[in-house]
Amino acid sequence: MTTLASIRDLTVTYRRDSNEVAALRSVSLDIANGERLAIIGESGSGKSTLALAIAGLLPGSSRIGGRIDWFLPSSPPSGAKAPPSVLPDISPSRGEIGSSPAGPLSASLAMGESGDKGVISPLEGEMSGRTEGGLVRREVRKSSLKQSYIPRLGRDIGFVFQDPSASLDPVMTIGKQIAEVARTHLGLTWSQSYARAKSLIERVRLPDPDSALRAFPHQLSGGQKQRVAIAAAIAAGPKLLIADEATSALDTIVQAEIVALIRRLVTEDGMTLLFISHDIALAAELAERIAVFRHGQLVELGMTAQIVGAPAQHYTRALLDAHIGLDTRPLLDRAGLHA
Amino acid sequence: MSPLRRFLRTPEAVTGAMLLAALIAMALSASLLFPGDPQAIAGPALLPPFQDWSLPLGTDRLGRDVLAELFHGARTSLAVGLAAAAAALVVGAVVGTLAGFAGGLVDEVLMRITDAFQTVPSFLLALAFVSVVGPSLGVVVIAIALGTWTGPARVARAEVLSIRERDYVAGARVIGMHPLAIAFREVLPNALPPVLAMSSVIVAAAILTEAALSFLGLGDPNRVTWGGMIAEGRAVLRTAPFLSIVPGIALVLTVLGVYLAGEGIVETTAVRRGLS
Amino acid sequence: MSLLAVSNLTKCYRRGDKTIAAVDDVSFHIDPGETLALAGPSGSGKSTIARLVLRLIEPDDGRIDFEGSDFLALSGAALRARRARLQMVFQDPLAAFNPRATVARVLDDPLRVHGIASRAERPRRIAALLERVGLIADLAPRAIHEISGGQRQRVAIARAIATKPSLIVLDEAASALDVSVRGEILKLLLDLQRQEKIAYLFISHDLGVIRSVAHRVILLDAGRIAENGDAQTVIDAPQSAIGKALVAAAPRLNRTLMRLASAGLD
Repeated sequence: MTTLASIRDLTVTYRRDSNEVAALRSVSLDIANGERLAIIGESGSGKSTLALAIAGLLPGSSRIGGRIDWFLPSSPPSGAKAPPSVLPDISPSRGEIGSSPAGPLSASLAMGESGDKGVISPLEGEMSGRTEGGLVRREVRKSSLKQSYIPRLGRDIGFVFQDPSASLDPVMTIGKQIAEVARTHLGLTWSQSYARAKSLIERVRLPDPDSALRAFPHQLSGGQKQRVAIAAAIAAGPKLLIADEATSALDTIVQAEIVALIRRLVTEDGMTLLFISHDIALAAELAERIAVFRHGQLVELGMTAQIVGAPAQHYTRALLDAHIGLDTRPLLDRAGLHA
Repeated sequence: MSPLRRFLRTPEAVTGAMLLAALIAMALSASLLFPGDPQAIAGPALLPPFQDWSLPLGTDRLGRDVLAELFHGARTSLAVGLAAAAAALVVGAVVGTLAGFAGGLVDEVLMRITDAFQTVPSFLLALAFVSVVGPSLGVVVIAIALGTWTGPARVARAEVLSIRERDYVAGARVIGMHPLAIAFREVLPNALPPVLAMSSVIVAAAILTEAALSFLGLGDPNRVTWGGMIAEGRAVLRTAPFLSIVPGIALVLTVLGVYLAGEGIVETTAVRRGLS
Repeated sequence: MSLLAVSNLTKCYRRGDKTIAAVDDVSFHIDPGETLALAGPSGSGKSTIARLVLRLIEPDDGRIDFEGSDFLALSGAALRARRARLQMVFQDPLAAFNPRATVARVLDDPLRVHGIASRAERPRRIAALLERVGLIADLAPRAIHEISGGQRQRVAIARAIATKPSLIVLDEAASALDVSVRGEILKLLLDLQRQEKIAYLFISHDLGVIRSVAHRVILLDAGRIAENGDAQTVIDAPQSAIGKALVAAAPRLNRTLMRLASAGLD
């Protein structure tokens, strides 16, 4: 299995008033091409910071150290028409983009706080309606490698946030929000983009695709909005899909539907999935590998069967024990009621 | 970083604070530096500035010391500006909170009253009030507040409408707290920041309105006011323009200072709230 | 006799020119010291029922009897006095407290409003409440936003028990907490129920948690009761369509583990 991204000694600190809070401490992790990797942890574990750091969405006040090496297929110049192989629902050979004849291009990005040149990361082409992040200024020190590459959000990475109402533009139609991503990143015309938006709406199984194209976010339910957010995230055929607590605000039934949708889309398009969640049971159902985070550090990383069945770390064991499932012995002592 | 340090790092805020500090120093030291009646005759009439160092800014048509008048005028401007703005903010916040929290008929009645006040130009309202009741410092303060409380009332009501849907207001009801206690203990303090953010604009407007009233001869006749000084100088605008220019500059700097300092405070506290 | 008896409760909302029944002819009862859970998908009306029972909103139709008297007939001071017996814990403890409050003030409010303790006696009572929910008394002067989420929910529970209620409505009270904290909070709630004979109306979307702590469960679908019965019996073998869908959608660790194990053997 090839590696998509190699994270080494990633450290992120946030400045709050005059104190520095470490959100991630020297995290090293490889993301394999085409895998479904879950990042789980409780609040303050740094799991969302990791997702934002990978996507280049960290706020300007944060300090980032370490390096992320990307092994992405060569990216077309901005604005150029994409080769058919990256249009997931056209190409029969999708899923093998990483091993295309041109060979994966080793790209590296080293981030250091000593960076002398302020470079604005190329996020201007990001998909519409992103309320978190916006234009993020990162201090980037050019690496000594020949090819330096910062993955582009929307084009290389699709990001699905927890709250679809906050990540969708309330005054733009669903169709335009999805089409805009395709247009920006794939260099399509508006009519091509709308056609693509329609096929994406069909793929995420929104009822009545034609009227959904013209609908506004407030006309949809929470689960439908999250489907739209997913369609927009994958509109430009990204290699990596990051879902940051994407199902946490939804009820159980809708959550199961969205998880099934993500699983299907990831498999069909050969995408790599980074699934950020606080719910170990949910993560286990979806992911092939699980990384457990606590206090900004990677506690344990392993195959799902090993993490769930034979955890090596005490903390992982504690998380599993704290899970209250449908077959857990009840806490309630029923004899106590009428005593 | 503390809000104070952030405030001190904002150049506009520091400029505003320095101008305000100078104004307050003038107002406080007026009776120390110029103990006598500022309206008493101090020298020859229409003495230009920088001629006689005992009368640095010269004298007016009646031979009164312009510098002494300027210092004593600062008192009036500051007192009227702050008192009128405080009255407008208190009345506005209370009316807005009651309207927003009570809803229904109370809201309708209070907001129609607010509408009525807002449809009359505030300066005209002040003018009419002073000419009916008669000019005195208190009346001028009330006259200005009459025209300015509606802005804070609307902002407070809008804020209260959003706050009253919050869980902690429901929580206070579940506890059994009296509705008025909820309105003034739980809701009003949290609705205040955007209302207070208007205070710099209101103080600046109040100072200008007071000057305008005095200019038209509707200020307190027993007090020196900058507006009155400008009006005095108008008669000799060609021969002695400094009589109008000096208090005019004082007025501009004061309004600028109040505005910049107010904006600085809003900005630095907004940053703090944004972080938490 | 039931502690709380709700009959034919109905609440409609107008949306455009359509009227949607958020709660449609719902009847149930809760006995003293019992936990009744309300479950269902979002929009099923479970939170609306909670707010109706607490009289934070008024029903269009129906009757609520609490401690043997008509709860909907109360108003003004009589209603506020009776509220001491019927308390609530919210999902998000940060939103449930005034952002300016301290722990002491949050706990002082119910004691003051209901005249439970004199001003001089209140600090001691506050310390006792904090200790009752497993917190140290030194926490009292801290601001609400300074303490952790788990501590905050304990403070919310302390506030709810300050007036010695017979019924507490728990609206997703454990849902926003980290799993490690959630277990402790649930244990605390069960412990309080055992000792003080408090009844709970437990609103949750999590069937696992409901099965763990509730005596009985009502499954709601679109404002109506779909299924009603003993919590373990209903969740282990749901009969209604919504019950089956909710159970099927709940993630299950053991099922996953078995699937992975059988895949590993192949």
